[in-house]
Amino acid sequence: MHQKTPEIYSVELSGTKDIVKTDKGDGKEKYRGLKNNCLELKKKNHKEEFQKELHLDDHKLSNRELEEKYGTDIIMVYLGCVLGLVVILTGIFAYYQEAKSTNIMSSFNKMIPQQALVIRDSEKKTIPSEQLVVGDIVEVKGGDQIPADIRVLSSQGCRVDNSSLTGESEPQPRSSEFTHENPLETKNICFYSTTCLEGTVTGMVINTGDRTIIGHIASLASGVGNEKTPIAIEIEHFVHIVAGVAVSIGILFFIIAVSLKYQVLDSIIFLIGIIVANVPEGLLATVTVTLSLTAKRMAKKNCLVKNLEAVETLGSTSIICSDKTGTLTQNRMTVAHLWFDNQIFVADTSEDHSNQVFDQSSRTWASLSKIITLCNRAEFKPGQENVPIMKKAVIGDASETALLKFSEVILGDVMEIRKRNRKVAEIPFNSTNKFQLSIHEMDDPHGKRFLMVMKGAPERILEKCSTIMINGEEHPLDKSTAKTFHTAYMELGGLGERVLGFCHLYLPADEFPETYSFDIDAMNFPTSNLCFVGLLSMIDPPRSTVPDAVTKCRSAGIKVIMVTGDHPITAKAIAKSVGIISANSETVEDIAHRLNIAVEQVNKRDAKAAVVTGMELKDMSSEQLDEILANYQEIVFARTSPQQKLIIVEGCQRQDAVVAVTGDGVNDSPALKKADIGIAMGIAGSDAAKNAADMVLLDDNFASIVTGVEEGRLIFDNLKKTIAYSLTKNIAELCPFLIYIIVGLPLPIGTITILFIDLGTDIIPSIALAYEKAESDIMNRKPRHKNKDRLVNQPLAVYSYLHIGLMQALGAFLVYFTVYAQEGFLPRTLINLRVEWEKDYVNDLKDSYGQEWTRYQREYLEWTGYTAFFVGILVQQIADLIIRKTRRNSIFQQGLFRNKVIWVGITSQIIIGLILSYGLGSVTALSFTMLRAQYWFVAVPHAILIWVYDEVRKLFIRLYPGSWWDKNMYY
Amino acid sequence: MTKNEKKSLNQSLAEWKLFIYNPTTGEFLGRTAKSWGLILLFYLVFYGFLAALFSFTMWVMLQTLNDEVPKYRDQIPSPGLMVFPKPVTALEYTFSRSDPTSYAGYIEDLKKFLKPYTLEEQKNLTVCPDGALFEQKGPVYVACQFPISLLQACSGMNDPDFGYSQGNPCILVKMNRIIGLKPEGVPRIDCVSKNEDIPNVAVYPHNGMIDLKYFPYYGKKLHVSIEKFLCGDYSFGKLEHVLTYHLSGVGYLQPLVAVQVSFAPNNTGKEVTVECKIDGSANLKSQDDRDKFLGRVMFKITARA
Repeated sequence: MHQKTPEIYSVELSGTKDIVKTDKGDGKEKYRGLKNNCLELKKKNHKEEFQKELHLDDHKLSNRELEEKYGTDIIMVYLGCVLGLVVILTGIFAYYQEAKSTNIMSSFNKMIPQQALVIRDSEKKTIPSEQLVVGDIVEVKGGDQIPADIRVLSSQGCRVDNSSLTGESEPQPRSSEFTHENPLETKNICFYSTTCLEGTVTGMVINTGDRTIIGHIASLASGVGNEKTPIAIEIEHFVHIVAGVAVSIGILFFIIAVSLKYQVLDSIIFLIGIIVANVPEGLLATVTVTLSLTAKRMAKKNCLVKNLEAVETLGSTSIICSDKTGTLTQNRMTVAHLWFDNQIFVADTSEDHSNQVFDQSSRTWASLSKIITLCNRAEFKPGQENVPIMKKAVIGDASETALLKFSEVILGDVMEIRKRNRKVAEIPFNSTNKFQLSIHEMDDPHGKRFLMVMKGAPERILEKCSTIMINGEEHPLDKSTAKTFHTAYMELGGLGERVLGFCHLYLPADEFPETYSFDIDAMNFPTSNLCFVGLLSMIDPPRSTVPDAVTKCRSAGIKVIMVTGDHPITAKAIAKSVGIISANSETVEDIAHRLNIAVEQVNKRDAKAAVVTGMELKDMSSEQLDEILANYQEIVFARTSPQQKLIIVEGCQRQDAVVAVTGDGVNDSPALKKADIGIAMGIAGSDAAKNAADMVLLDDNFASIVTGVEEGRLIFDNLKKTIAYSLTKNIAELCPFLIYIIVGLPLPIGTITILFIDLGTDIIPSIALAYEKAESDIMNRKPRHKNKDRLVNQPLAVYSYLHIGLMQALGAFLVYFTVYAQEGFLPRTLINLRVEWEKDYVNDLKDSYGQEWTRYQREYLEWTGYTAFFVGILVQQIADLIIRKTRRNSIFQQGLFRNKVIWVGITSQIIIGLILSYGLGSVTALSFTMLRAQYWFVAVPHAILIWVYDEVRKLFIRLYPGSWWDKNMYY
Repeated sequence: MTKNEKKSLNQSLAEWKLFIYNPTTGEFLGRTAKSWGLILLFYLVFYGFLAALFSFTMWVMLQTLNDEVPKYRDQIPSPGLMVFPKPVTALEYTFSRSDPTSYAGYIEDLKKFLKPYTLEEQKNLTVCPDGALFEQKGPVYVACQFPISLLQACSGMNDPDFGYSQGNPCILVKMNRIIGLKPEGVPRIDCVSKNEDIPNVAVYPHNGMIDLKYFPYYGKKLHVSIEKFLCGDYSFGKLEHVLTYHLSGVGYLQPLVAVQVSFAPNNTGKEVTVECKIDGSANLKSQDDRDKFLGRVMFKITARA
């Protein structure tokens, strides 16, 4: 009984605390009263003391004495601080990483303040375009951006580039006539953010800001909710698993501890310890770093990742909805085919045009090339002498540019040729004539005469011709030649190419002398009975790298769908040439055509490919769309609107697919946002598209997506390895607590020490796994299934926790027992020693050899034990790191030294361990001590065992694929 | 909306039920009986192997140890001090002179502690020469007698109440055993009262002297009394081990110092703090910032009427 008395009369706070504890422990009312008494007594005592003298000696006390005097465990305070710091630092770190990648993005938004020329108070003024109001009259000239939605009042040869809005790459003429019900199609409206390419236009502002068409699309885009990325879902899943394990083990042992008569407060401390041991604190930072490392690597390959998590999304992509213009194609009209001498010639459409192999010896070609060169208003912008021809900037529309570059490549200096053949008259192209005509002085030394050259829509040109040039000779144009012309025309048109006809006429010198004055309005020259020379067809050709990339996607199990605003025929032609529709697959229409039956009679199952237009899509129910998406392997959507692109993306997502969408226009931004990963074009892309996208392709090249997919898959695999690596040690950190509670050993590892593993030694190695190369060709397997192939699956958790983790724990315990035994505490002595060991006033605890230890000496030994356990885990984590390099292949197949960063990681691990043990060994709060060098090697046999065991596991997996072992052991 | 949720709740419940036991496939918790059997067999073998391996490595580790002396003694270079009666919570003694039950526990504790020091128990111990280290070469390490009479008033021979009934309580101070420790100089335990007005602290033996003959200590296995030692038979490995274990309490006796605090009648109810320190020996530390018990001990006594 004598033990209670000192408590009651104790003046020390610690005494009070003990009572509070007991109070908590059994919660009996009578102790409450006791406590109150005690407090009153204490107050009285205090008063007496104050009356006597000011008595303060806390400043003389050491931390430890302070702790004891006031009952505050400074270690616990440290722990609290450290945990808080961990949370804050991780948060700051993640924020920093995110912010960094956002910054890269914002550097793209070089928003030039827009100016608009407005007529106000009968004065022309230049004002910032955001100051425009509805009813303002604005003037826009070629090269300017349209400052708002305007209704055209008058225009002079105005053409606008609506590609960012509708996807049409053709410049659209604008005039004041009302031509179409649909505001997007009518000619008398110019849209905000489109560009006026040429001419001038005067119009009245009808909508500004958010109410413009673009504004509508933007609000559509912002209305599309942000979906969680697959990796975010995976990490959440992983967090659930870890939290579930941590909390359930924690609570289980809390209950065990309470039923083992531990105090509730102590049990709560155990609970915290167990949870800290179980949560991989460093993992969030690791994942962020890993992702941003990959993002950096991808940026080098021209994929700029805005949203870090999107790095992995690309890897799990199963459907890519790709835009045509600019992504699959070069976004530049190029001469693809020529027809002359009754023959079709193929022109080189590769990016540099270098390899024109068609027969240029024919005299027809000489005539044709002359027409191409002369009947062309396009010119190179000056001052680009050193720029390669294909990259030179040109003033003129797409077709003329194509012709200019084509002739420049083949004939050399076009401008010089034009100079030698001076233009005397010209009728520019217009939509009623559908031809373009010019008359030139010939530099023929045998006598000056005029050459009239004409190009235009083939059928219009043919109408004007009476002869046709074959092999340089003029032949009368009869029915059979007309038929060959039509066949060629249809064939080229069927390729989705834009065909132009070319003809010429040498004006007789007697009728048209050198001084003859040509009058364009009076048309005082012949425009019929000309000589037809040839056809030339142009297309926006696919990028040369795309077919290969599409094949790679195919073999990687990714479906590539083309979604374009372009014509179905062009879309299909491009799809065929890049392999989106493979060479031997047919659409329903193709089959019908081949079998010469009606489209309705064709069995839809026979067709592998489908071309769906926007008009058809409009009438479809979502079930029908699903059916199309599910049944056809190769799909092309043509003539689609922004809303339809969104519908297509949603349809794909209903198939449980992870959808990547590429796009450049503003019209794409809703779909980009809706997609699991939106990919915008860096060069052609509008800011709206880039903002809505998760990733930007800096070179606008579809092939870059494939690299992205590869990196994304690799990062998923590597994250798996990283997580497996980080999870493993959790068991080794958890077991000490469990053993401590159940068996009563002195605590083998402290909470702070655990944090030093999680946030110190293990960080760099787990990041190093991000540099691991792929084990096999990851582009030859199917994309992972969103709901089945999880990042953290059961075998991963089981193998990490119950196999390697447990082996690690045993190894670490061996080091711990070795240290204690060699200092005098044999393992059997340690059992149930915990209570005596931790009593502060027991200062003569006997060890196995009869020596007596003070509390502090024991505590120091305990810290040595922490350090030993720490070193044990550290040494085995090195083995763990090495085995995690591969999941299936042997380490020796993968190459032990191929990933140098792993070795940096191992070195860092050892160095940090050495610093903690030998450098900071004297800092009390960290509870590290200097460990004898030999203890570093005690766990080495266990580390080797881990390696050997894992090699055996991998060997069996490779030997017996699909077996029980494979199913249970492959993660 | 609520209807939907309810449905999904029912569904998930059904899914769980199916997961726990699926009658069509006979799966219990996602595995069939055969699959469970296989996996349990695997873990039985695997963990059996791990247990064997761990036992083996532990056995190898234990082979590196010496039975008599621990491999390292670097963590206890200098002994701590400890007081008796053994305190229950903090180092505080409170008793009432007039109430024997308030100090009965202390006395009992002291008696228990002094039991090995009785003449009866010590009769097999060796009488060693005073004032010098008693180094032994073995194989027999004998223990020296510690005459309990050295504790004088605190020996319990004359006063079975150890002074508690008179308000002059005895506290015994002992130095921790450390194998191989050889104190230099003339070690003594010096006790002072921290309260200036109560100087009456007496120390026995005279001056708190600790005789060097009790050092060095050779460990509980070697350092035993002769008679008991002869009882043990060293030739039977295991038997010997058990015996020494039992003998441990009656072998080596460590020197004691008693502190007697005399409370004047006017000082009753007042708390007195006494600090004892090792003095006179260069290699026995008594000043350490962190370890308050290294070579020193501080305790509080409150005696009431």
